[in-house]
Amino acid sequence: MQEFLQYLFSGITNGAIYAVIALGFSTLYSATDLINFAQGEFVMLGALLLMTLWTQVSMPLWAAFPLAVLLVAAVGMVFDRVAIKTVKKPSPILLVLITVGASILFRGGAMLLWGKHSYSVPAFSSISAVEIGGAYLFPQSLWILGVVLVLVAGLNLFYHRTLTGKAMQAVAINKQAAELLGVASRKMTLLAWGLAAGLGAVAGVIISPITMSAYDMGTMLGLKGFCAAMLGGLGNFWGAVVGGVLLGLTEAMGVGYVSSSLKDAIAFLLLLLILYAKPTGILGKASSHRF
Amino acid sequence: MADKKERSGSPGQEPPEPVPAGATPRRAGLGQRLLPYAGYLVVTAGLCAYGLWADNYYYTQLLTFIGIHTLLAVGLNMVMGYAGQISLGHAAFFGLGAYTTGALTVHLSWPPLAALPAALAVPALVAFIVGMPTLKLHGYYLGMGTLGFGMIIHILFREWTALTGGPNGLVGIPVLSAGPVSLAGGKTYLFLVWGAVLLSFGMCSRIVHSRVGRALSAIHFSEQAAAAVGVDTMRAKLEVFVFSAALAALAGFLYAHMVTFISPSSFSFLVSIRIVAMVVIGGMASIWGSLFGAGLLTLLPEWLHVFSEYEVMIYGLVLVVVMIFFPQGLTRGVLDAYERARRRKTGAGPSA
Amino acid sequence: MSAQGEEKPAPVLQLEGVSKSFGGVRAARDVSFSVAPGHIHAVIGPNGAGKTTLFNIITGVYAPDSGRIRFEGADVGGRPVHRRVAMGIARTFQNVELFSGMSVLENVMVGLHVRTRCGFLGAIARPPWVKREEKLARETALDWLRFVGMEKVAETPAGDLPFGWQRLVEIARSLASRPRLLLLDEPAAGLNARETRDLGALLKRIRAQGVTLLLVEHDMSLTMEISDRIMVLDQGVKIAEGTPREVQADKKVLSAYLGG
Repeated sequence: MQEFLQYLFSGITNGAIYAVIALGFSTLYSATDLINFAQGEFVMLGALLLMTLWTQVSMPLWAAFPLAVLLVAAVGMVFDRVAIKTVKKPSPILLVLITVGASILFRGGAMLLWGKHSYSVPAFSSISAVEIGGAYLFPQSLWILGVVLVLVAGLNLFYHRTLTGKAMQAVAINKQAAELLGVASRKMTLLAWGLAAGLGAVAGVIISPITMSAYDMGTMLGLKGFCAAMLGGLGNFWGAVVGGVLLGLTEAMGVGYVSSSLKDAIAFLLLLLILYAKPTGILGKASSHRF
Repeated sequence: MADKKERSGSPGQEPPEPVPAGATPRRAGLGQRLLPYAGYLVVTAGLCAYGLWADNYYYTQLLTFIGIHTLLAVGLNMVMGYAGQISLGHAAFFGLGAYTTGALTVHLSWPPLAALPAALAVPALVAFIVGMPTLKLHGYYLGMGTLGFGMIIHILFREWTALTGGPNGLVGIPVLSAGPVSLAGGKTYLFLVWGAVLLSFGMCSRIVHSRVGRALSAIHFSEQAAAAVGVDTMRAKLEVFVFSAALAALAGFLYAHMVTFISPSSFSFLVSIRIVAMVVIGGMASIWGSLFGAGLLTLLPEWLHVFSEYEVMIYGLVLVVVMIFFPQGLTRGVLDAYERARRRKTGAGPSA
Repeated sequence: MSAQGEEKPAPVLQLEGVSKSFGGVRAARDVSFSVAPGHIHAVIGPNGAGKTTLFNIITGVYAPDSGRIRFEGADVGGRPVHRRVAMGIARTFQNVELFSGMSVLENVMVGLHVRTRCGFLGAIARPPWVKREEKLARETALDWLRFVGMEKVAETPAGDLPFGWQRLVEIARSLASRPRLLLLDEPAAGLNARETRDLGALLKRIRAQGVTLLLVEHDMSLTMEISDRIMVLDQGVKIAEGTPREVQADKKVLSAYLGG
């Protein structure tokens, strides 16, 4: 029981992070039909920027956190304008390669800026771990869960209550129709990039105290966030959340009860499983129409 | 049923004037008929010249690597460029070829040439089994399926320590020898690898210009229509996927016996992406473009060494820039530019 | 049920109680009909009547929820699309689906896929029979292009042709598989009056080759002129069937078209 609880805590914590990364993928995919292979690099940038701003420049956390996220969001928007908008005839293969190229570029840049070291960041609050049924729940886990809950609620409000959010969904459903109705889809695309990059950065910020941050941390996190998004249903808001948590839990249980060498394989096994069984994901609609 | 087919509508029954056989289009002059072989001749001549005069270990190694990468690229090009199916896990077959021969020669002390059939068959079989469910997917979903498969195989290389040596890799793979003749020497191996490359080019171009190749291209343009004219699309995709896996496995075999040491990082996701980049930069659906793409992406890191720390960044930058400005691939891009210049000069239309 | 009407020649195609629904939409409800050999058989009906769905069921794109499909007496239900082509059922698409980057000739050569047999290994080894087959395929494909009058553009990329020509190439491509039943989905859509007239003549020539035609068409004058028999679908239900004259006189048909 104690073991199980411990796995559960760590599973939910990791799952929440996967969920945020998956939300980034889904936000971008639903607005632009594009999968960004540099999403993991946004996570890395978020983590390393926070580290620099908080521990090296000694900015207070409440300022460093949003600043890191905003900076990464800006990187995302610039990337959209410079590299994605300039493609004349976008095709999936081409865009995959451009974003992969960008991920290499970001990684190389981060290596120049931060070197090959791994950095660690203190927990957001210095309270000691809470014991529940013999298992320890670390305050950073609560931070992560809290941030993710706020984020999910906020995004939900944004999509359903604000004009911009609704416009973004309109663009996602039908680009041309939305444009005819006066929604500027280019602006929405830009916004989606900012949002997706920002979400990646949030994941990086909240994960930084429980992992070592380094220039190459993004690849695996990005791919797993992607698995989570596919699992729940690509482009589906709640699907990303469900997929993330499910992936985190399966990983934690698999590592705990089967073997730690399985850790990285689980995400991809789940990915193949869902692709073969129901490619549109757990919460995805039947294949022919997406909405 | 067969004779019914014979009886039913032959187009000759309502005869418009029959056209003499000579009118078949695509009859070309001698020069143009030799053109398809020009590439083979040039490469062979180049290799002979290199074999006679040059003697530089570093360049020999580099050229051998280009050959191995070309095998990977041309195989993937069959799947991606011709049949239009994305594969983001091709390094898995490369690795399976290398590790199969590695495990057989290191653990069981098989002679390398005896391991070759297995090194081709195991990845081909895996491709067949994995391809059946995966190739039903389309677009991004297919990309993700192949990516997931590639990652799993990569993790397998890393974790199945007893067989693969784990993250430290598999050491002591013997060099290639045929009976008493060692093929280890730099130039000998270079010729061997390039022989395989030219052979694979010949096979690929024959496939492309055949009933099978047309069916593959048809699938590329419209899978639905291809099925509607009677192409067993699943079978065609599976066949080309297995073929391309076998070529990647051959590359893996040649790689393993060249470097004699293999580790999982040589078969990671990024390697898969690099192979895709070779195909796209060289030009989709261009056999000789694969050679160009593989050459460029093999040489690029060597050239970028001078930038030391900036190397990775510039590599990424080059990839992005090329994709943005030459989405048809550099080969096509350069040829198009040449064609435009030529046309401006002569005012003539494009030639075949 | 309706099969009782046609006694003498065994039907080429026979549907018995075919139904298909998508979610809540019933695209075909208990549809039965048969197509006699050598006929031009038209399926008409207002938009959304389920005509294209019916085509997709006959060619094997969709499996019906219930009912049987017989082709020359054999039950073809459950056979994949490409097997049915090999048996002799070919089709064209409403929006013309050519392989746009391939030449017109290559398009028709793909149409010969089920009538040729060179496989992967044959292609690589290229023995003499493969060379012969390839040569024959090229000539046959050219013959079919001549049949529809498109031989002049054999080397042009199919996507570069004007729409009307693409349609003819698509017909040549489907004929290349030597079907005994050809399904044409709105062959006259997008054609001008002159092209439509030529199409009518072409369809009659195809019938003269012994190919049975089943077509969905909106152009009524064409349909009435060339069809031997017409079936009317409305919201997935067969509401009338008969000769053009009988169908024109049918009240249910009129009300379906006038939205009654």
